[in-house]
Amino acid sequence: MSIQFKLSGALYREIMRDLERPHRFAAERVGFVSGRLSSLTGSAKLILLTRYHSIPDEYYIDDPHVGARINSEAITRAMHAVYHGRSTREGIFHVHLHQHRGEPRPSPTDWREIPKMMPGFQAVGPQAAHGMILLSADHAAAWVWLPGQGEPTTSGSISVIGVPIRVFEREVLR
Amino acid sequence: MSSDRYSRQSFLGLDSQDLISKCTIAVVGLGGGGSHVVQQLAHIRFQRYVIYDYDVVEESNLNRLVGATLSDSFAETPKLHLAKMTIFGLQREARVRGFSSKWQENPEPLRECQIVIGCVDSYKARQELEIACRRYLMHYIDIGMDVHGKDPPVIGGQVILSSPGSLCMKCMGFLTDETLAREAARYGNAGARPQVIWPNGVLASTAVGLAVDLVTNWTRSDRIYAWLVYTGNENTVRESHTLRNRQATSCPHFSNADLGDPVFREL
Repeated sequence: MSIQFKLSGALYREIMRDLERPHRFAAERVGFVSGRLSSLTGSAKLILLTRYHSIPDEYYIDDPHVGARINSEAITRAMHAVYHGRSTREGIFHVHLHQHRGEPRPSPTDWREIPKMMPGFQAVGPQAAHGMILLSADHAAAWVWLPGQGEPTTSGSISVIGVPIRVFEREVLR
Repeated sequence: MSSDRYSRQSFLGLDSQDLISKCTIAVVGLGGGGSHVVQQLAHIRFQRYVIYDYDVVEESNLNRLVGATLSDSFAETPKLHLAKMTIFGLQREARVRGFSSKWQENPEPLRECQIVIGCVDSYKARQELEIACRRYLMHYIDIGMDVHGKDPPVIGGQVILSSPGSLCMKCMGFLTDETLAREAARYGNAGARPQVIWPNGVLASTAVGLAVDLVTNWTRSDRIYAWLVYTGNENTVRESHTLRNRQATSCPHFSNADLGDPVFREL
């Protein structure tokens, strides 16, 4: 199963700008981005990212054991975005930034915490794809829970349609 | 392969060859304009192509179809085949998905592209390609030429760049309801348009230049829209006065709400 992402250059800059801001106590910021599911050739899928949902400072919980922890209000807002996107198969993707160069990989905490949100998103938007996107300074990677799937599929590429065009691919696929 | 092969274009940036080889580019229409475009893309080292043309080589194409020979007109070689031969002759490892059809009959591969270069004949066809590019987030570069008048004839043409989130061809003043309506009224009676090789070469080269800049941003211009006007009789390419005078800054015709497959909404 091949899954590709696309987003505009403007949206990419908006996400990066927001996630690079320091927080009063959290070591990193997180956000959500909405994405629409479309078809490519065969069973391949295209996810078009449409808009970013920044998480207000007060929705972070002070937890020194993790880089960032958000409260239930932040999750509820993400659920609302999924609910309102049902007619366009618009799902939601947890996004955060790892401060290094090269292909980002989820940390053990990422793998432990972020997938817990997916059943809730899938319950509200069963026809949409949901997941997590990891950004680094010059790369990106994504994991997608397709409709009806309990396990994620790794995205093959993320294209930023701006100037310059960026095509972030999994190195293992090259 | 010798590492010298791309040394003359190393000014495009240290990672330019990597960026170019990762970009998937579509060329719609492989005739007078598209044959030039494909040839240049292959020289530059684009590796991933989605190409469309359902036509075959005819004798009347030989005045401008790059790569076509007399034998191709006798054999009625598909233009798609010529384009593939050009690409594989320069890039053996290229990934080429070619379709002997209208792009609308095989739209899914187009959606994977980052850039679409449209070498089509009508305003309607241009509009349809631009809509697809906005829906599925692709830069659209359009080329076209025409000859007007008789005493003397005037060769005109355009290269347009339309990118998601920026001005579209309607915003720029290139596509108007009047031009679309006039073209629709002429349907079936348009006749064969005059075409010669050198304007197509200028327009194709300009389009490829825009494409390379989109991928590498070697000019640092961050350009996301353009309407460049070719005046063949003067051998010039200039920014459109129409676009400059419009002073438009945002596009009211497309929004992120329109991304992806069209959906029916219950009222």
